[in-house]
Amino acid sequence: MNSINKIPVIEEKRTNPLARVFDEFVRFCRSRSLFILHYCTGCGAIELPPAMTSRFDMERLGIQPMVSPRQADILLITGYVSIKTLKRVILTYEQMGSPKYVIGICSCTVNGGMYWQSYATAKKLDEYMPVDLYIAGCMPRPEAVLAGLQKLMDRIHSGEANSWEDYFRNYDYYLGNQQKLFGENWQTPTDIITEAKHYDLIGEGTLGKHTQILEQHQKPLEALDMRLGHDLKEPTE
Amino acid sequence: MSQELTHWLDDLLEEIEGIKVRRKSSRRVRADVPADALPALLELLQGRAGYIHLSAISCVDWIEDDEFELVYHVWSYESHSLVSAHIRIAREPGVYLSVYDLYQPAGFFERDIHEMYGIHFEGSPNMEKFILTEWDGPPPMRKEFDSEAYVNEHLNWQEYNPPWLQELIAEGGGVIIPPEEQRFSRKKD
Repeated sequence: MNSINKIPVIEEKRTNPLARVFDEFVRFCRSRSLFILHYCTGCGAIELPPAMTSRFDMERLGIQPMVSPRQADILLITGYVSIKTLKRVILTYEQMGSPKYVIGICSCTVNGGMYWQSYATAKKLDEYMPVDLYIAGCMPRPEAVLAGLQKLMDRIHSGEANSWEDYFRNYDYYLGNQQKLFGENWQTPTDIITEAKHYDLIGEGTLGKHTQILEQHQKPLEALDMRLGHDLKEPTE
Repeated sequence: MSQELTHWLDDLLEEIEGIKVRRKSSRRVRADVPADALPALLELLQGRAGYIHLSAISCVDWIEDDEFELVYHVWSYESHSLVSAHIRIAREPGVYLSVYDLYQPAGFFERDIHEMYGIHFEGSPNMEKFILTEWDGPPPMRKEFDSEAYVNEHLNWQEYNPPWLQELIAEGGGVIIPPEEQRFSRKKD
């Protein structure tokens, strides 16, 4: 192993004339095979079954539902996000593999919609995670959902849809907003800073005063406590 | 048959002291009782008139009267009628008796009311957090809790007024009431 590291590597600009063609091809393939995570908040999810099934048929665009966040590309936020749900949405978003895209459907993800006055509903989704696309409406029809997804496909194809990088580059901003809402002890099971190093996406906004607060109380990761109720007693002999 | 039954019910209700019965329709009865007579009323309704289903307990905060109103809705499968028993309790200290021993579903309703209004039910099996498990503010359904002030303090809001909507409004369509007139705290005086 040591001898491998001693071999000098000269870093140059890409000279392969086909590199751009390959990049283009990869982006084309990526935009034609999108998996939507089944995570339905709020009421907008009711527009998805017609969009997925034979009436509007999302699958002809190469878009399919997927059950686990690790294998999904798109996180659809389909309606109001209560503050309890927002925690789960952030956990889910962080566990998705990059590149990942977030679409906010319905007015509620833009500014709270009709829940603008509610103490329990988060208002601006893009304060807590980077959002690629909003589809406004209460609720948007399946045509609008499909038009939005096609726009996302175009943006992926042209290389514009890279807001997931923003989460790593400006993690301190997003973490600050999360801490403001959930308290300073907020910690997710995903280590974003290590991941940012892995993707080589450490930016000026990755580390800051909020990540310092996180590092102070950060506990080593362990399995989440998945109890259903408080009064479930241990079976006694 | 139901006519007979309702007359019989009226006679039964007369047994409670201080009760005011109002028949709202053939299948709905409203009964206002003093707070300490409610367990006796429910016991009578359940034991002798077949009102075995407690469908809900609802709560109203009458902040000007300094009182909470609790409404117990009980349903009978035999006479297909609903009795709503209304009581008033003092807002401070906001303590009342649990009816869990009469109707077990009351445990959930009381837990919910405890969470939303802060009323403590003595004898209820569980008074812990129910839905708002991650909420540590005041009980949010009490009238003195200002939800809008809480939102303005903790959350940001953004205008959504894209060009296509402005065009629609310019043509006389779209939103009739502009947001600053809808939103009380954002009203421009």
